[in-house]
Amino acid sequence: MKKLLALILALAMALTFVACGAPAETGGGSEGEGGGEAVGNELAGTYDVVIWAPEAAVDLTKKQVDDFNSSNEYGITVNATVEPVSEADAATNMITDVQAGGDLYFFAQDQLSRLIQAGALSKLGASAVEFVKSNNNAASILAAQAGTDLYAYPLTADNGYFMYYDKSVVPESDIDSLEAIIADCEAAGKNISYELENAWYNAGFFFGTGCHSDWVTDADGNFISIDDDFNSDKGLIAAKGLYKIVSSKSYVSASTADFASGSAVVITGTWNYSTIKDQLGDNMGVADLPSFEVDGQSYHIGSYSGCKLMGVKPQTDAVRGAALARLAQYLTGKDCQLARFDSFGWGPSNNEALADPAVAADPTLAALNEQGNYAVPQPNIHGSWWDIAKVITTDVKASDGSDEALKAALAKYEESIQAVFTMSDDVKNAFTVIGSINGDGWTLDLPMTADGDVWTSDEAYTMDAGVEFKCRQGKSWDVAYPADNFVVETAGTYYIQLNAATGEVSLVPAE
Amino acid sequence: MKRQKVTDPEKVSVKRKRKSPKEFFGEIGAILKEYTDKGYLRLSKLQKFIYKILAFLRSIPLAIARFFKNLGRGIKNAALAVAEEFKDVGRTFKNGDWKTKTSFLIMGFGNIARGQVLRGLLFLLFEIVFIVYMIVAGGYWLSMLPSLGKQGPTQSYDAVLDAYTTTYNDNSFKILLYGVLTIFFIVAFIYTWRLNIKQNKLAEQFLKSGKKLKSDKDDLHSMVDENFYKTLLALPLTGILVFTVMPIVFMILVAFTNYDGAHNGFSNNLFSWVGLDNFNTLLSWQSAGGGQSYSATFGEILAWTLIWAFLATFTNYFLGMFVAMMINKKGIRLKKMWRTILVMTVAIPQFISLLYVSKMFARNGLINLTLKDTLGWISQPLPFWEDPMWARASVILINVWIGIPYLMLITTGILMNIPADLYESARIDGANAWQQYTKITLPYMLFITGPYLLTSFTGNMNNFNVIYLLTGGAPTNPAASGAAGSVGYTDLLITWLFKITTGAESQYYLASVVGIMVFVVVALISLVVYNVLPSIKNEEDYQ
Amino acid sequence: MSNQKHHMGMKTLNRVSNSAIYILLIVISVIWLIPFVFIVLQSFRVESTYQVGYVIPQQWGLQNYINLWNSDFKRWYLNTFIIALAAAVFQTVIVLCMSYTLSRFRFKMRGPLMRFMLILGMFPGMLTMIILYRVLSDLGLTQANAVPGLILVSVASSGMGYYVSKGFFDTIPKSLDEAARVDGATRLQVLYKIILPLAKPIVIYTILTAFMGPWGDYVFARYVAFGTSAGYNVAVGMYSWLTNDQINNMYTTFCAGGVIVALPVTILFLCLQKYYVEGVTGGAVKG
Repeated sequence: MKKLLALILALAMALTFVACGAPAETGGGSEGEGGGEAVGNELAGTYDVVIWAPEAAVDLTKKQVDDFNSSNEYGITVNATVEPVSEADAATNMITDVQAGGDLYFFAQDQLSRLIQAGALSKLGASAVEFVKSNNNAASILAAQAGTDLYAYPLTADNGYFMYYDKSVVPESDIDSLEAIIADCEAAGKNISYELENAWYNAGFFFGTGCHSDWVTDADGNFISIDDDFNSDKGLIAAKGLYKIVSSKSYVSASTADFASGSAVVITGTWNYSTIKDQLGDNMGVADLPSFEVDGQSYHIGSYSGCKLMGVKPQTDAVRGAALARLAQYLTGKDCQLARFDSFGWGPSNNEALADPAVAADPTLAALNEQGNYAVPQPNIHGSWWDIAKVITTDVKASDGSDEALKAALAKYEESIQAVFTMSDDVKNAFTVIGSINGDGWTLDLPMTADGDVWTSDEAYTMDAGVEFKCRQGKSWDVAYPADNFVVETAGTYYIQLNAATGEVSLVPAE
Repeated sequence: MKRQKVTDPEKVSVKRKRKSPKEFFGEIGAILKEYTDKGYLRLSKLQKFIYKILAFLRSIPLAIARFFKNLGRGIKNAALAVAEEFKDVGRTFKNGDWKTKTSFLIMGFGNIARGQVLRGLLFLLFEIVFIVYMIVAGGYWLSMLPSLGKQGPTQSYDAVLDAYTTTYNDNSFKILLYGVLTIFFIVAFIYTWRLNIKQNKLAEQFLKSGKKLKSDKDDLHSMVDENFYKTLLALPLTGILVFTVMPIVFMILVAFTNYDGAHNGFSNNLFSWVGLDNFNTLLSWQSAGGGQSYSATFGEILAWTLIWAFLATFTNYFLGMFVAMMINKKGIRLKKMWRTILVMTVAIPQFISLLYVSKMFARNGLINLTLKDTLGWISQPLPFWEDPMWARASVILINVWIGIPYLMLITTGILMNIPADLYESARIDGANAWQQYTKITLPYMLFITGPYLLTSFTGNMNNFNVIYLLTGGAPTNPAASGAAGSVGYTDLLITWLFKITTGAESQYYLASVVGIMVFVVVALISLVVYNVLPSIKNEEDYQ
Repeated sequence: MSNQKHHMGMKTLNRVSNSAIYILLIVISVIWLIPFVFIVLQSFRVESTYQVGYVIPQQWGLQNYINLWNSDFKRWYLNTFIIALAAAVFQTVIVLCMSYTLSRFRFKMRGPLMRFMLILGMFPGMLTMIILYRVLSDLGLTQANAVPGLILVSVASSGMGYYVSKGFFDTIPKSLDEAARVDGATRLQVLYKIILPLAKPIVIYTILTAFMGPWGDYVFARYVAFGTSAGYNVAVGMYSWLTNDQINNMYTTFCAGGVIVALPVTILFLCLQKYYVEGVTGGAVKG
């Protein structure tokens, strides 16, 4: 019997194991060499940093990092590798493998909660929070926030859309009316590119009639509930408006610069400005979105306004984390934002930069600003919502436009989003504690564990006299004990206990 | 062929008499009840086909019963074999000399002591590597496998530096991966240890009976001669083991965990075992949103996948054969040029040609613009990618464009191999072109390409490139919008699997379940085809 | 008389059917060539860089090719070329080892082994992408080092694709081996002295398919290169030019890149077409 070969095989395998099978984790990235040799200079050192920026911004970002190296007061030298990764890809890539991801990366705000959930964003320290809050406009601060914490640095506040049109097809007198625009385009045999088969665009019709769709997250970026009234009388009006355009033979679901291939109107954002300018020349018109008319009343189409953000990957080393925070603050500061405006027309989120005369005079930003009156700042949105909401357009398009058909489409939408939140029975039945414990303002649900009917909080909390709380079931207020808030009478460290059968709440002192 | 022709005319007229449905199925039933060769041969082709399918279906319960019976017997035999192995090990230890006995502890000792140094050293080295590995890492991975990790990442705040830091702890992914590898490794070790003992026993017997043991030189020489196949297979099989078998085992295990974007096992939450929950999710009728359950969505996609695979395979097959026959026809010139033109699509990477074609067919793409503006044939753009039916038809058509050249190449060779005298005699019998095709060309082709058709069918079921590059699954199927990733009307199971993996929630566990289902479907189809079409079975030499 | 008439009829019929076939072949050729001709034409368009509704450029020039030269495309091209070359060499060796063995040797585990691989092949490969990525990532063969990583994976699992060449080996008579064995040749000598020269078509076929594969590899390559331009192959790099934020600037450059990618592969393919056909027909259908 001869099994020499099997033996060699097994050996080869064995060597592979030893080579890569040791359990110890290697830390992420290289660390700063600087120590605490001088007070206030703890951050000095050289750092290898990977930055993911959109292709267009790669060169500028490299230059800005060099400027940071020569100008920062902490003695930080950043040895940066800037990789072209689009904002859309950044989140997907980070989620695939956080360890291998960029240290700093550009992303669109709708990805925020996904990224937090994946553990791909580092929470901002107090000084960074101060920097962001004091320098940026309100919408962009909101965009970087989950619960009460900030997780990213605002880069731009121009992630919205408005209307480009061909003046030779659509006269300026018609641009306020959707019906007139459709008529002009149909008469000229031209298309209207409006990517309504994408929830980012079709939701605008609903915002225009006063609907809202808000997701609620907790501090960890987990979604708790949705408050949405698309399936309502107001929603029906929006669906009627939507039907007007999607049933037109001119309608194309696209948001690319299509003027060279048959479109006379394109709904898109600042990023297509230079291409469209090139395509249309003097015939280019820029305006806010038009209004549509239902039952004699006019509704201005709304939109999402959004931001691009810069995220910092969680770091295992505090010195490195602090240094990266400094770099991120520099890159999202006034000067860098203005430089990006100069180079690519990206609209700043920085208040001072917004006041700059060149920014104020920009035609696309002006249109965006005008549209801003009807825009809804984009909140954190559950990833499934985009897929669910875009179907409204498909359904409306397939319908005959009757009230019944449109209502059915909206009803289906509502059912779909409810299904995302069919919580498992465990979660539905579980009790949690919520209140002013640990200085929290009734935002955090603290877990409890059941033993028969008796639920006890997982941790003991140190509470001052006067702290109030309630125990609630399924993170909703349908079942909550006690009827009035429980008020702590004597300060101390307690477990919170609830008898679900009687609704009695008590404190058990911790040993 | 010829003889059949001569004797046929009378028989044909007899056969032509239409059978009533009762007769038709009655005859099948009779043979099903009691099989006779004579009765079978009397059946028409259609009846034979139906009979085969019915017979196969009927055999399923029997086959299952047989399977379990064999399984029972197999388990019993395996248990006996293991017991025998143990006994043999005991006997070897009892009867063996001191060299053999030492080899129980120090592998390869007996080999070295008896002059087979190379073998012995390899055994010894393997043992050392194994022990070192188990101490350094293996033990840890194995101990963590049941829980898949205890402590997820923790966050802390450094007040001096004003920065948050994250400490990464256990890594469920690595625990699962290296846990599985460690088990592989232990099995390999036990096998090798047993081999070592067997060799000692044999060597002792050899020496006792006065024969000479093989020297190291003999060993090396046999590797290029009688054992040459082992040398040849070593590298390919190692590669397959590490880069195909191990990943598949791993991904099957993932189907029993809750590994997804929210539990990535390292940077947010650890994942853990969940038993059969995921299979329940996919197969249950519970709504996944959009008014449709996962199982309904799965069923819809599966149905389209099968339709697509069927149409894609056979449109390509027949059209490719047709083109090949046109080019091969006597009197057609420039044969080489026609072939070369077609074959260019095989040479050009699909991501270029398919992406370009997909843009050409877009609503504002070249085709629509030409038809509408330049030619004025249509007033509205054609919804190539927007209407479900249009999109499905378009992908099949464009797939023909991709597939014909390849089929043309394959069939050209076979067509030329068909003996010319077959056609000659058919012509003498007065068969027209169509008859020649159905009586000679097609049966010959089907016989030769049977296995190819099957692999091509399963290949098309998993044809990711064509769908992904052309439509990306579009247009969206509104009813299935809630089911993990946005499902479209042209999505195949394989593109759905990809969407689940890369979608908003990265439900790897669900992708893994879908993957297992794809396997089950492909395996079932192959099984049915092998059983119903014996010509394929005979063509293969897998038994 | 009737016979003669019949003959005449056959002749005209033949002529008619031949003309019909010519017309059909011309139509088919046009359909098959159109996309490629269009890509080539677009690659010389310099008046604009986005998609337009006409085919013939208004202004001709080489700007798109100059853009290619100035972009990372060079690196991607080199990466792909290296992968393709390595795949062509190693994959061929592995596939030939595997298929030759399974065609020529009869050993105890042969049947189970082939059945096992048949079953393995029924699992969708897409499934193993995540885990292969992690393994490569542990070995440090992702991102900037994606090239060796991709080579490793494609070569390591290539043994599964032995069917076609095994089918070809099956067609070489076994009596040749046996005669040589009687003359005292070892198995190794039989392989390289007798079988390999006869198997030239299938060797070239295997090299050719292995070389062509990496040029179109997108999904897994993108997964492995993972946001690091230096590790991209042409498919991953060029695909990024067609994303919404880049297509307006890069569309014609994409076309130029397509031409550059397709050119060598096509030429190589056309030169070796004869062997490819022999390989396919000899092997593919025998299973």
